[in-house]
Amino acid sequence: MFRWHKALIVTRREYVTRIRTKAFWISTLAVPFLMVVFTVGPALLMARAGGEFHVGVLTADGELFAAALRNLEKLQQQREQDNLKLTLERLVPQGNPSSQREELKQQVLAKRFAAVVVVPETLEGEVRLEYLSTNVTAFRLMATVDRLFDRTIRELRLQRAGVGPEVQQKALAPVELVPLKVEKGGAEKKEAGASTFFTAYLLMFIVWFTVMMYGMQVMRGVLEEKSSRIVEVIVANLTPLELMFGKILGVGAVGLTQYAIWLVLAMHAALAGPIQALAGAAEVIANPLLMGSFLAFYVLGYFLYGSLYAAIGAAFSSEEEAQQIQNVAGWIMALPFVFMMVIMNDPDAPVAVAVSLVPFFAPMLFFLRMVLHTPPGWQIALCFALLLATTYWVVRLAAAVYRVGILSYGARPTLRQLWAWAKGR
Amino acid sequence: MAHLELRGVEKRFGAVRAVDGLAFAVPEGSIFGLLGPNGAGKTTTIRMIMRIVLPDAGEILLDGKPIDDTTRERIGYLPEERGLYRKMKVLEHLVFLGEVRGLARQEAERRAASWLSRLGLEGKAQAKVETLSKGMQQKVQFAAALIHDPPLVILDEPFTGLDPIATRQFKDEMLALRARGVTVLFSTHVLPQAEELCDAFCLINRGRAVFAGPAQELASRYGTPQLRVVTANGAALPAPLPGVAKVQQGQGAYLLELSGELPLPEVIRQLVQRVEVMAVEPHQPNLEEIFLRAVAEDSGEGRHVSLA
Repeated sequence: MFRWHKALIVTRREYVTRIRTKAFWISTLAVPFLMVVFTVGPALLMARAGGEFHVGVLTADGELFAAALRNLEKLQQQREQDNLKLTLERLVPQGNPSSQREELKQQVLAKRFAAVVVVPETLEGEVRLEYLSTNVTAFRLMATVDRLFDRTIRELRLQRAGVGPEVQQKALAPVELVPLKVEKGGAEKKEAGASTFFTAYLLMFIVWFTVMMYGMQVMRGVLEEKSSRIVEVIVANLTPLELMFGKILGVGAVGLTQYAIWLVLAMHAALAGPIQALAGAAEVIANPLLMGSFLAFYVLGYFLYGSLYAAIGAAFSSEEEAQQIQNVAGWIMALPFVFMMVIMNDPDAPVAVAVSLVPFFAPMLFFLRMVLHTPPGWQIALCFALLLATTYWVVRLAAAVYRVGILSYGARPTLRQLWAWAKGR
Repeated sequence: MAHLELRGVEKRFGAVRAVDGLAFAVPEGSIFGLLGPNGAGKTTTIRMIMRIVLPDAGEILLDGKPIDDTTRERIGYLPEERGLYRKMKVLEHLVFLGEVRGLARQEAERRAASWLSRLGLEGKAQAKVETLSKGMQQKVQFAAALIHDPPLVILDEPFTGLDPIATRQFKDEMLALRARGVTVLFSTHVLPQAEELCDAFCLINRGRAVFAGPAQELASRYGTPQLRVVTANGAALPAPLPGVAKVQQGQGAYLLELSGELPLPEVIRQLVQRVEVMAVEPHQPNLEEIFLRAVAEDSGEGRHVSLA
């Protein structure tokens, strides 16, 4: 007979003692902090990736160099606030190309040039510009150089083919791709592709991270009770099941509290400033279906993995012993990240649908699909039905293992023994 | 009726017979000692009573009925190892255990506070368990075992890690429990403690009861009459002496174990005829001596072992 009031005494103890720990508050505050660092940080660093760069241009073509200078001036006028400034210096090819190249490389190494661009002799066909630099990950500088020479060389080709400046202007006018997300009801929404990606990734990561973290805490708690023999003192008054459920509920409630705190912080942040990723998160919060399933996936995922971890904790006597099988659980939990790209690429591909329905992955992957775009209703229903059934089944098996394991000590149980426990004595 | 009774209880761990046909009865309202050397099976026996492990054979009766998960709740239990959450505050911990044992929160708080002051731990109510000394943790455990006023209390090695003052305190508490009609079963391998407290014992060795019964019975069974003899100037005793089975040399005296063939006055008369005697007195062996002898007999290592 399961006595809820007994289980809830355990739940309250777990909740109160955990919420009081420093670790809880550190992890609660560290996650938003890291999120800000990871989202705002790179943008800030990018913005600071400016400065003055002196670029050498090795070309026999004086006309090309002059055109490049002209285009550079125009470009820098267009982007006046831009803090990335370029200066170009022409380098004339000399008699011995290979010794000149060596010399230029030395100058690049000596930082006389941020980079040297080697323009080939002919501009016919596909033109490959060599970009010699000590740093080939300075993406903004490289993009600017690329853009500058792309335009200059096209212009020059048109000019040399006898095309007049007016037609040149027309031909060189930019073309841009504008992604518009079509939503149910036919609404179009303009959004940066990166933002959807980021929000989806972030939320999936939060589900994964919290389920994993709290699952492990359940395991550690069970191991503590077992190794300190607390369980022997209380098992006279509580059934192992009451103890296990009380603990899982208490630890899970700590997780929900953490979510609530993050939610409040995220809403404030979204109101305070247009942080791209948080704006995406705010959209999820405002969407009751997504928010509801976010919570449902956390709760079910947590029960699924939490009870597994509880059983692992009960079956072994120390964390070292539990390590191996715990790693297996960890690998299962890491698989969603492998399938993530498949789903991002095409959320409705048969493979994507199939893996997202696997109950052990659904809390992460099906949720990811829901954020990307809403799957058909039957899939949502099927997903939750499978997940509920599996959770129920795993919780029962885990409870059976827990009931026997929590009071056994000594030799590490074999898989066969664990299975015998799961089937009941 | 016995409050707690074990009948033919057995427990094997692999090939090892940890408890082998153990039987004893704990009278209601008594202090009962479960005594034995390390590894004799005391803790296993207690864990079987608490249903932490289940016996392979035999019966454990509480108030005449086989013990089950419900009746087990009426037992207060202090395990050998510290069964406390290290990160919890002392008062909070006692309240938690009180609630788990069915007390309402307020009542649990009241009793926890009163136990803490009774055991001299008032100042530690808000301290974390892990900051307490071993002895103090043992006191918290003790209070935890008793917080729900159980009619039967089982204490596994309650005196380990206690200083003499705390030991005295625990003994007084146990006597106070008996005065209130509570049955106390405790295990120990330190025999003088048991001698002072126990109304009845079970001596266990290698998983079997060497003796089980009231303290007086133990003394009369194993306490074969002995004479302590002091001779003039420590003169040697002639051998053989009529009616004497064995002679041991003690501190400044001889310990004569009687064979029972002759009545006591006759033995003394025979003795004084043979040697100049300064003093003769009957000697009652203490529990430790009895125990060592009983264990030695049981282990088949000859009839006597020397008393170090």
